[in-house]
Amino acid sequence: MAETLSYGAAIHRAMHEALGHSADTVVVGQGVSDHTAIFGTTEGLRQRFGPRRVIDTAIAEDGTTGLAVGLALNGVYPIQTHIRVDFLVLAMNQLVNLVAKYRYMYGGRFELPMLIRAVVGRSWGQGPQHSQSLQALFAHVPGLTVILPSTAEEVLRSYRHATRSHRGPVISIEHRFLYDLDFEVTDDPERDRAPFGGRVVEAGDDVTLVATSYMVQEAQRAARWLEARGGPRCEILDPHRVSDLDHELIFESVARTGRLLVADTDWVPYGLGAEVCRGVVTRDPGVLRQPVRLLGMAQAPCPTSHALEDLYYPHMGDIVRGVYGLVLGTDDHGLETPDAAAAKALRKAFRGPF
Amino acid sequence: MEVSRSLFRQALRIRLVEERVREIYPSDRIQSPVHLSNGQEAISVGVCDALARSDLVFGTYRSHALYLAKGGDLDRMFAELYGRSTGCGGGKAGSMHLCAPEVGMMGASAIVATTIPHAVGAALAARIRGTGQVVACFFGEGATGEGVYHESLNLAAVHQVPLLLVCEHNDLAINTRVSEVHAFEVAAHAEVFGIPATTLERGSDVDFVAAAAHHEVEATRAGSGPRLLQIRTFRALQHVGPDADFGPGLRPLRELEDWEATDPLTWRRDWVEALTPELEAEIDAAVAFAEASPFPGADALLSDVVAP
Repeated sequence: MAETLSYGAAIHRAMHEALGHSADTVVVGQGVSDHTAIFGTTEGLRQRFGPRRVIDTAIAEDGTTGLAVGLALNGVYPIQTHIRVDFLVLAMNQLVNLVAKYRYMYGGRFELPMLIRAVVGRSWGQGPQHSQSLQALFAHVPGLTVILPSTAEEVLRSYRHATRSHRGPVISIEHRFLYDLDFEVTDDPERDRAPFGGRVVEAGDDVTLVATSYMVQEAQRAARWLEARGGPRCEILDPHRVSDLDHELIFESVARTGRLLVADTDWVPYGLGAEVCRGVVTRDPGVLRQPVRLLGMAQAPCPTSHALEDLYYPHMGDIVRGVYGLVLGTDDHGLETPDAAAAKALRKAFRGPF
Repeated sequence: MEVSRSLFRQALRIRLVEERVREIYPSDRIQSPVHLSNGQEAISVGVCDALARSDLVFGTYRSHALYLAKGGDLDRMFAELYGRSTGCGGGKAGSMHLCAPEVGMMGASAIVATTIPHAVGAALAARIRGTGQVVACFFGEGATGEGVYHESLNLAAVHQVPLLLVCEHNDLAINTRVSEVHAFEVAAHAEVFGIPATTLERGSDVDFVAAAAHHEVEATRAGSGPRLLQIRTFRALQHVGPDADFGPGLRPLRELEDWEATDPLTWRRDWVEALTPELEAEIDAAVAFAEASPFPGADALLSDVVAP
């Protein structure tokens, strides 16, 4: 049965489901019980499950991540929240040296089932320290499972799996731009078999678009724009789990289309696009009919002024231009592409301060 | 000084294990940096005497003593030092990451202070689940310089968890005198968080340590919140490796001589002589077990990286 649900509402539901499912599941984070409730996603949890299981903490990312490790080692499933991904850098020691290694380093004698939620800020002047995505940083380290749910359905499916079945640490990077968007949510037993796995968002034969998180939205907007003009048909793939990419899914598509564009929410060098390319060229570089196009944030810290911020992030116009370039073999084609106003539309619809 | 023979035996067992590691080390059969416990054995033995098997402990890279005192298997420890598949970490851990979850030894980290918040979390879990467990966390006073130590004390105090913080105070952070680089005193600092802190001056007196630990463990188990024991002790060897570091340009030899005068494992020669043969036989068997064990196979290289 289909229903319409916003991304934020799906997270809120997933939190209630997780705590309702097991008395040994807790939520730990700075501000989880304040009136803003992690953008509303932890609303009502403390009233329903009590302060012992909905734990507001000091601003101490390193310590609280370590706290979560200890909870997990002694039979409690912790869901940790961070309203900005940027603050996870303060927990990097725990994440890289402990969380990632606890299972391996002790020869499989311990498990660390835990979910770490972190939200990408982006836009409305969030600036260099409130807007980062950083999935490449986390995904680089063996032992960390990193997911970027791009729809309400992905949220429900992956959080249910993480909190009920998966026996390891999961870092989920949520995107603030997605929170208020509505999605059709359906039951899909096929997808339940690989809850962190990649998916085909839209099928197409001309160009493979690999997009993460919010960039799936931009890819779909670009595809609609092209479709309306009888342009190239895009196959949109969402890898979802970037720490262990579904390389076969991507390669199978690129082998058909011969053209690849990757649109990520992180920086490009050493990033997801490079990893996607690794998967393709180590299988068969001969499938590529054109050089690959890679989109991500400009190679700089995020500027605060919207005059610069508009230039900083790639948008549907860049994707459309990339698709034309891939199909026509040149960027000098003279075809109309969406102007910058289309890209600005979303920023204008989004209101701060959060 | 009264010394109970059973606790003495445990401390001596650890000393003899460490001495055996020192003997073997130059042969390169143990290829793992060792941070030996010589001089600090009584702390692990005394504190673990106050703990139940189901209670949990977290350690540091210098945790041979803690592993053995909590009941970790000696065969599997030597096998781990030898990098064998029968080791307590299957050969992936080495000396710095001994664990024995079956007896509550929950891990040891080479990154200073990083297991302290784990202990707080495990203690919080004990309370959430109502298990009645106490968690003990062992660390050196050097670790109290790390930011996460201060975060952890705050978390422990706010949640009033059943936790015993055990600060093994040897005044050495590798080769730096901690008293020269810290502007605070560990016990007084803990009191700021409302954590009752007791300082024991005679860290080589295992009965003295055990008596204090029993008191602290009973208190925190009864719900009095986290407590801290600061125990003055002596690192008898270098920070890492099998050698001593006394003499010109190193630590004054006088420090070693002063300590040996207080160390029962040095002066109770009668008990040492009486107990050594059976302990050495046990150690012989553990070394033989390690040497006869296979190395991990290539299949282990990529196993247990992520959850299935």
